[in-house]
Amino acid sequence: MAFLGQEEQIREFQDRFRLLYAALFIGFGLLISRLVFLQILMGDQLRLSSEENRLKRVKIAAPRGMIFDRNHTLLIDNRPDFDLEITPQYLKGSGEEPKVISFLSKIIKKPEKEIQDILTKNKSQSFRGVKIKTDLSRDEVAQIELRKIDMPGVEVREEIRRTNIYGDVAAHLLGYISEVNATELPTLNRKGVKYRLGDSIGKDGLERRMEENLRGVDGEEIREVDALGRVKRERKKSSTGQGVVGRQALPGKNLILTIDQDLQLAATQAFGDKIGSLVAIDPRSGEILAMLSRPSYDPTSFSRGIPASIWGKLLANENHPLMDKSLAEHYPPGSTFKIVTAIAGLEEGAIDENTVFHCPGKIKIGNRLHHCHSRHGEISVTRAITQSCDVFFYRVAQKLKSVDDIAKWATILGLGKRSGINLRGEVPGLIPTEAWKKERYGQPWNAGETASVAIGQSFVTTTVLQLANLYGTFSNGGTRYRPFVVKAIESFDGKIIKEFQPEPISQVKLKPKTIELVRQGLWGVINSPGGTAYSQRLPGMEFVGKTGTAQLFRQAADKINTRCESMRYKDRHNAVFVGFAPANDPKIAVAVVGEHACHGGSGAAPIARAVIKKYLEKYYPEQYGEKTLANKLKSLGMSSQVPKAPHSEAVEDEGYAEGGEQEIAPQVRIPMAPLPPPMPVTPREAPSGPEPSYEEGLEGSDTSEAEE
Amino acid sequence: MNHSSIESQISNDYTTARTGDYEEDLKKFNWSLLIIEVILFGIGIWNLISATGVQDKSLGLYKSQAVWFGVGMVLTAIVLALHYSLFSRLAYFIYFANLILLGAVLVVGKSSLGAKRWIGVGGFRIQPSEFMKLSMVICLAKYFESDQTVGGYGFKDLLLPALLVALPCGLIMLQPDLGTALIILLTFVTMMLFMKIQPITLVAIAVTSVIALGAVWNFDVLKPYQKQRIVSFIDPTSDPKGSGYNSIQSKIAVGSGQLLGKGYQKGTQSQGNFLPEHHTDFIFSVFSEEHGFVGCTILITLYLIFMMNGLSVAYQSHDKFGILLALGIMAIFFWHIFFNMGMVMGMLPIVGVPLPFLSYGGSSLVTSILGVAILTNISNKKFMF
Repeated sequence: MAFLGQEEQIREFQDRFRLLYAALFIGFGLLISRLVFLQILMGDQLRLSSEENRLKRVKIAAPRGMIFDRNHTLLIDNRPDFDLEITPQYLKGSGEEPKVISFLSKIIKKPEKEIQDILTKNKSQSFRGVKIKTDLSRDEVAQIELRKIDMPGVEVREEIRRTNIYGDVAAHLLGYISEVNATELPTLNRKGVKYRLGDSIGKDGLERRMEENLRGVDGEEIREVDALGRVKRERKKSSTGQGVVGRQALPGKNLILTIDQDLQLAATQAFGDKIGSLVAIDPRSGEILAMLSRPSYDPTSFSRGIPASIWGKLLANENHPLMDKSLAEHYPPGSTFKIVTAIAGLEEGAIDENTVFHCPGKIKIGNRLHHCHSRHGEISVTRAITQSCDVFFYRVAQKLKSVDDIAKWATILGLGKRSGINLRGEVPGLIPTEAWKKERYGQPWNAGETASVAIGQSFVTTTVLQLANLYGTFSNGGTRYRPFVVKAIESFDGKIIKEFQPEPISQVKLKPKTIELVRQGLWGVINSPGGTAYSQRLPGMEFVGKTGTAQLFRQAADKINTRCESMRYKDRHNAVFVGFAPANDPKIAVAVVGEHACHGGSGAAPIARAVIKKYLEKYYPEQYGEKTLANKLKSLGMSSQVPKAPHSEAVEDEGYAEGGEQEIAPQVRIPMAPLPPPMPVTPREAPSGPEPSYEEGLEGSDTSEAEE
Repeated sequence: MNHSSIESQISNDYTTARTGDYEEDLKKFNWSLLIIEVILFGIGIWNLISATGVQDKSLGLYKSQAVWFGVGMVLTAIVLALHYSLFSRLAYFIYFANLILLGAVLVVGKSSLGAKRWIGVGGFRIQPSEFMKLSMVICLAKYFESDQTVGGYGFKDLLLPALLVALPCGLIMLQPDLGTALIILLTFVTMMLFMKIQPITLVAIAVTSVIALGAVWNFDVLKPYQKQRIVSFIDPTSDPKGSGYNSIQSKIAVGSGQLLGKGYQKGTQSQGNFLPEHHTDFIFSVFSEEHGFVGCTILITLYLIFMMNGLSVAYQSHDKFGILLALGIMAIFFWHIFFNMGMVMGMLPIVGVPLPFLSYGGSSLVTSILGVAILTNISNKKFMF
């Protein structure tokens, strides 16, 4: 009901309505004019902006090049990997959530609650797939795909997993890839190579070294995307064609390595759970035939992001599984270095074939007592190598002018500097000189140190790769090659793009006599009963080499005779072995270091032996095949069987480097072991001067069994 | 005036015939607002299906919107059965009840996107701030109905109504919901201007407002994101991927519709999710992208017809309460339409204001429907003195 006296006021109001109508028209006029501005005047330009929004260049990742061994055995491949993803918003909206989750939970064997938790945690991200499980099995993929139509928001996504087919074998050599991280981008892109976040890059080993070859050129596709950059699902009434190809992806180049995977596997098997490294090299070219570092890791798990827990464990492992022990770790070479001392002595004229020193089991140099592991009595250079007599080499050291003579020959032979292999992280090792010590420690050199250097201890360190190359160089008569591991680069369709040729770095001039004497010594190590690796011989294959037992800590005087095996694990000596075969026509040289494996003869030589045997059998079956060899040996009246070695103290006990100060014990003379038979002159011949023990062997049993 | 007096004469001829009441009521019934309402809602739900449908049909937001429309229709029937003078009697009760609900939101409310705006009632979530707009208008209409001030309102006369507005505005700002508070404030200002204010008071208010705005800006009354929105309104390109993103993408959506639009469900901006919240506050950009200038002009014309019809209800009302109530409701509609479209088209800063009948949101829809119901009631009862 109207109030009295309101009539007038109401009439007044009604006049003001004109203003209201005016305001209304002005307001709507503004809206319309804005509409004209945006849709008519700016229309073309804004339509263009919306197109740019919608169409996105989508990267088509180029497949990374594959890596093969020398016989085209695939080592590194790109394998599809399937992930289960759920877009929570789609699933929630469907109202089927509990049913779908319980179904998935059964297939992927993950508790429902866990799936639910992942979804809840990622709820806020709008319409983005949440990873529920990676690495689905084929079976899981099949089951999910079959029911996908009833499971809104559930998606199986295919990703590429860089796969090391042989798991942890040669992980260090092959390396791994992972996503580029933001901090490296500026450095990477300065060179003009375009990396973007999300791209993969080689982080270690060949994957890193050969990045430029392995990496392909990504292609590009223009696709319709939504605001989150997701490629939209196919729609029937799409106004533009989907998947317009901008540029094809160009796959990366493949690598053919010099590696032989069978050797790698044989070496891995022989290594067992030992820690250390093996390098096998072809002395005729410098091709690396096998290269291992143990313990290892599986690079496959790195390619799609390694869980922090696993990474942490790898870092914390005291055996350093991430380190390449073949070229990035320094090892004292121990007695394997004695051939350098022998060569220095022979070449410098300090000793010759007739030089005989007396080994009483210990020797006092300066005011320190140096021990030998045995009393070798009267001993020549050949026999000294065979039996690894320390005293002989101490005496050689005394005869030489200074440690610099040893250093000179070590350097000539390639020690103390990088081998030049085209791999990252190689360390140079160390060959000490008087000048070096003066500079490093400010102290003069002392004679005791020369003695230690002579047997590969003291400051002397080498890498496993250097040792293999050293023996390779010696075995081929002095040609030092640059070791290499990539034999060829191949285009993705198999055309050879580049082939790598052997590269001799230097020619070491050695007197024939020197070579003969040292080779005889090395022959004896394995092939004469007094040799330190007699149990490791390979009848008919002329396997020769040198053991070493590198002491890591100076032993207290009372511990000097403690058996290595009874020491604390970390105090045990490193087992070193370097050898080659066949002696007169070397086709392979192998160096092995087994950390804390105690004795070169038992801890390292069997691994080298397994690799050499495998190699000769595989590549020279007409000469070294099991049957050929058995027949040949039979005609020579020998067995191809390695008999049980007569136990010689030299096998187990050799190579203590330095002793503590101790009084010289009364000399006790022990009978000398017989000198090894002379080296065969022609390579085709089986080793002459058959060992009596060959005949004692059992016929017909397996030859590959290494016995001690 | 002439027109209505003729009508009233005609109606007077029949007032005695009781049997004819029902038919006569029907004849007098103002269908226009309800018809436009249904048309706008029809366009709204059709558009909502496009805005949400491709994303995922099973989300089914349009279904719940239809349910809310049903609720609104039931309320419309109830309102139409009453006389709007009932609102006059219950005005303060409605106002304070709503105020209590607003307080309750802050205590037991449900949060979403950092704001507490809803309270759960049964299975529904209602937004008391939406209803507060109507309660506010009813309350102000009631207040001025009995007021006999002549020669324009002075500063003192406005203190109490200002307080009546400030209370709910403050509570709504706390949620925070800048858009709704702004609408209430603008509605109040519209009503005040209509009521005639002394020029000196007007100047004083203008000066105070400027000072208050400065204070609000400097003393952190606004949340950082709210400030950011205003900054990015002034210069959207200052942060194109951040706070300016909505404004830029929305403008692209509207403009790319050009003359005829991209076609129903073919709007790439909305279907590609480039526009956040495109089913609520940015629903107009979906419509304009898909239907272009022609479609938008039709829509805006519909709103204009709606507004003119609503204003004519106010104009034709014979009592002060009816005029002020109808005017207030139309002010709410106007500011919603103007602010929402202005925001979508980049003319105004982004404040969360829904577009009546088109934006998704139950409370907003029901409030709009109630507003129309009250207007229709006022229109129908104009002869019943």
